[in-house]
Amino acid sequence: MPTRPTTRTRPATTSNGVGYHWNWGIFWEMSPEGTGTYLDMIVQGLRMTLITAALAWVIAFIVGSAIGVLRTLPGRMAPLAASAWIELFRNMPLLVQLFLWYFVFPEILPAAWGIWLKQLPAAAFLTAVIGIGFFMSARVAVQVASGIEALPQGQRAAATALGLTPAQTYRYVLLPMAYRIVLPPLTSELLNTVKNTSVALTIGLAELTARARAVQEFSFQVFEAFTAATLAYLVINLLATMAARWLEARVRVPGYGRA
Amino acid sequence: MSEPVIQIEHVTKSYGTGGPVLRDVSLTVAGGEVVVVCGPSGSGKSTLIKCVNALEPIQGGRIVVGGQDLGDRRVDLPRLRARVGMVFQHFELFPHMRVLDNLCLAQTKVLGRPRAEAETRAMALLDRVGLHAFAEKHPGQLSGGQQQRVAIARALAMDPMVMLFDEATSALDPEMVSEVLDVMVELARSGMTMMVVTHEMGFARKVAHRVVFMDQGQIAEDAPTQAFFEAPRSERAQQFLSKILTY
Repeated sequence: MPTRPTTRTRPATTSNGVGYHWNWGIFWEMSPEGTGTYLDMIVQGLRMTLITAALAWVIAFIVGSAIGVLRTLPGRMAPLAASAWIELFRNMPLLVQLFLWYFVFPEILPAAWGIWLKQLPAAAFLTAVIGIGFFMSARVAVQVASGIEALPQGQRAAATALGLTPAQTYRYVLLPMAYRIVLPPLTSELLNTVKNTSVALTIGLAELTARARAVQEFSFQVFEAFTAATLAYLVINLLATMAARWLEARVRVPGYGRA
Repeated sequence: MSEPVIQIEHVTKSYGTGGPVLRDVSLTVAGGEVVVVCGPSGSGKSTLIKCVNALEPIQGGRIVVGGQDLGDRRVDLPRLRARVGMVFQHFELFPHMRVLDNLCLAQTKVLGRPRAEAETRAMALLDRVGLHAFAEKHPGQLSGGQQQRVAIARALAMDPMVMLFDEATSALDPEMVSEVLDVMVELARSGMTMMVVTHEMGFARKVAHRVVFMDQGQIAEDAPTQAFFEAPRSERAQQFLSKILTY
């Protein structure tokens, strides 16, 4: 197991009944890690959060789309398999899933593979990307499937009648409209992916929240550290939201769905 | 008349556990022939036309289209469907594509036509249905009648050996019905083989070679157009006609 997360360190000054010493200049001071300033620590964390979230989202989007499509295929086996995937990854807390991937998964593999996995230099990073990616894929799958199901039944029939294969029907007819319909909820899932990366601090990933905590532990400037982290999350997600709005406007279908 | 394009032989079908929707239906449509299928709702006429390009599976009998048995596993269904044009009640244009792209999609992806050739063909057909000026529009910017004419052009772009119409005018506002029927009449007169499910008896009188009357999943009457309207043999068809023709 990882070292137990240290309990929240309150600034000593406040427990003495003395006011908290604000020090926004802390970010320009060198950190005891000796690799740069406290601001550099926050920036490193931000970078790790962005990379982790971006790769996890790529997995979530690709796997989620595939599972969402499977869920809407005719027949019984494909939808059943898709539902199994969705229920498995949706119904377990993300924290538990990360622990399972990080601590349990290497143990159930053949010993040599397990050791190789545990010794990977970026084990926490890879675990976070895959774990968060699969967790979010279940949610993306539900959205994609509901987008496809929201389309009139006749769309599939029309594509089929024109001679398109099932793959072509999804690629050219069903998915382009389904994605447009679920773009707003998919944006929420993207924001969730960014926020969920903070859970990976429990397996030792040096992402934004973990680095903010490190700043606090070294400097005791808890409010400054977490204000910086909060602002960083806010800015990332506002930018993501703006990008999504822009995309929505760009792919809007003329004359479609106006109330 | 030439050799049959559609042969429907003793077809039975039911949905799930419900009763049969089609019961021992047999029908032949010859090349160049226009056959109108009518009957009360729930009589199975729409189901029947969907079975002709295997959009719906059948449980008994067989359907042969263009010499190919739909039940034969070796038949390439997408290839066959590409040559069977279908027009739906609710048009089913692809809303995210321009009208021109709606007409070119299957031409390029299914028939493998070069884009330029597909566009030339598409523009010629849009011209034929009077919508040349709408090529760059999206379906949502067109009226129902215009959308249905585009849908007909989209099916024709595949050079079909037969056109199926599934209640093509019943979702339209009354004043748009005639613009679609005009296109269908023109198509019939050009010699296209057509199987048309419709309640438009005026269309049937004008261009149909035969009228098939369905009731409760069976063909109650299959007669040349004139004979059907002047002297329907089955009592059920007589009732049906007296009801829809008195208005």
